Amino acid sequence: MFETVKKYNTFIDYVNPLTKILLAAILFVTVIFIHNPNVLFHLTILMLITLLILSGVKLKYLILLLLFIFISGFISSLYMIFYGEGTETLFHYGIIHITEESFIRGIHITMRGVILSLFGALVIFTSKITDVFYALMIQLKVKPKYAYSFMAAIRMVPIIIAEYFQLRQARKVRRALIHKKYISGFKGLKSTIVTLLSQSIRRAYRLGIAMESKGFTDGSRTYFYRTSFSRYDLYLMLLMAAALIAAVQLGTVITLFDTTDAR
Amino acid sequence: MAKRNGLTLTDVLITVVIALVFAVIYSLWDGIYTILQPFGLHLNELVYGMWFIAAIVAYLIIRKPGVALIAEFAAASGETIVLLQFDISLIMYGLIQGLVCELVFMFFRYKSTSLMVAVLAGIAAALSTLPLDWYYGYLGHLETWNLTLMFSLRILSGALVAGWLGHLLYKALRETGVLKFVGQRADDSHEGL
Repeated sequence: MFETVKKYNTFIDYVNPLTKILLAAILFVTVIFIHNPNVLFHLTILMLITLLILSGVKLKYLILLLLFIFISGFISSLYMIFYGEGTETLFHYGIIHITEESFIRGIHITMRGVILSLFGALVIFTSKITDVFYALMIQLKVKPKYAYSFMAAIRMVPIIIAEYFQLRQARKVRRALIHKKYISGFKGLKSTIVTLLSQSIRRAYRLGIAMESKGFTDGSRTYFYRTSFSRYDLYLMLLMAAALIAAVQLGTVITLFDTTDAR
Repeated sequence: MAKRNGLTLTDVLITVVIALVFAVIYSLWDGIYTILQPFGLHLNELVYGMWFIAAIVAYLIIRKPGVALIAEFAAASGETIVLLQFDISLIMYGLIQGLVCELVFMFFRYKSTSLMVAVLAGIAAALSTLPLDWYYGYLGHLETWNLTLMFSLRILSGALVAGWLGHLLYKALRETGVLKFVGQRADDSHEGL
């Protein structure tokens, strides 16, 4: 899917999608248990380097994405920076009360989000969505009816988006005839969702009946695409473990923040 | 068509498609959510309930075990597909919220389509991820008024946006007649008439 933005392939492209999702889940739990902002800082840097080198995506696209990741990560932790508990006041205006403690805690939460987003971007750039569902069926023995429903439904997403724009244009053309409240505001939102849903349900129902009548069952079957585990899965696991250990070690040597506990 | 109790391929497909429609809406909703964030006053929590609506609408339509969980998981992972961003925390949150909605519906034996059940599921989903947020975002270290504001806005949003709006959408969909052949139908059902 990303042929246009990719420059080269790396071993991560050959890692089983399930391994990547599992590692992401482990990473999620791990960052919740890291309370030392120094460790998290080094982990952020290491994940950034990993993304830059191993995603194989052209630099200009990556920089745009990184800007987005860092800014949205920072915005989502503003609540802690502004209203967190703390004693060393840095800035006070009205109800906003920034303290040194709350600021570090806010940055800590930002870095958690950023680490997960960086790994998420790496996964997205190196995986095919269909492979995820084939891996679920072949390696995890998920029933085909679930996997194929997802794959069929994903093909409908562009239709849903196209329908949304069509609806917007249809309203634009008829603007003089429709009361304003049915275009903007709550009634507009409701009629948009109902239109999109009802069309999609009709389409899904027809497709479901067609698939069932073609003998689509849960019995044993063969697959056009094959997914498997290989030595590359092991490499990625080792890489992530190494990054984590390195971050913990570096966090005690090079300390950017005075504190070792963001709480 | 004979009445079948388990999930058929069509049921799953319809559930996933409903979820993906909401995934598209979530992706647009994400913009609103982000705009409301900078003040740190948790105004974004007011729209948070939108994130559980897929489970509630899908359940009201299909009314079979497992639908709420599949819908919420599909909607969360659907955002990955629409926005081309893989966010593991989103999928984890989706799974937990779906599971909690599922438990509420199980309690009512997958029969009731009343507004109360939808609102209850919305509130339960709003409460379900607060423990995770507590650890992830160090909520214990927020000033008390700010924390209270966040919790009440989220619960309100779960009840109103997910429960009430979800039920409203279900009623509107029933009027369009598309639910005639879909999902579990009670004997006294007037759907599609």
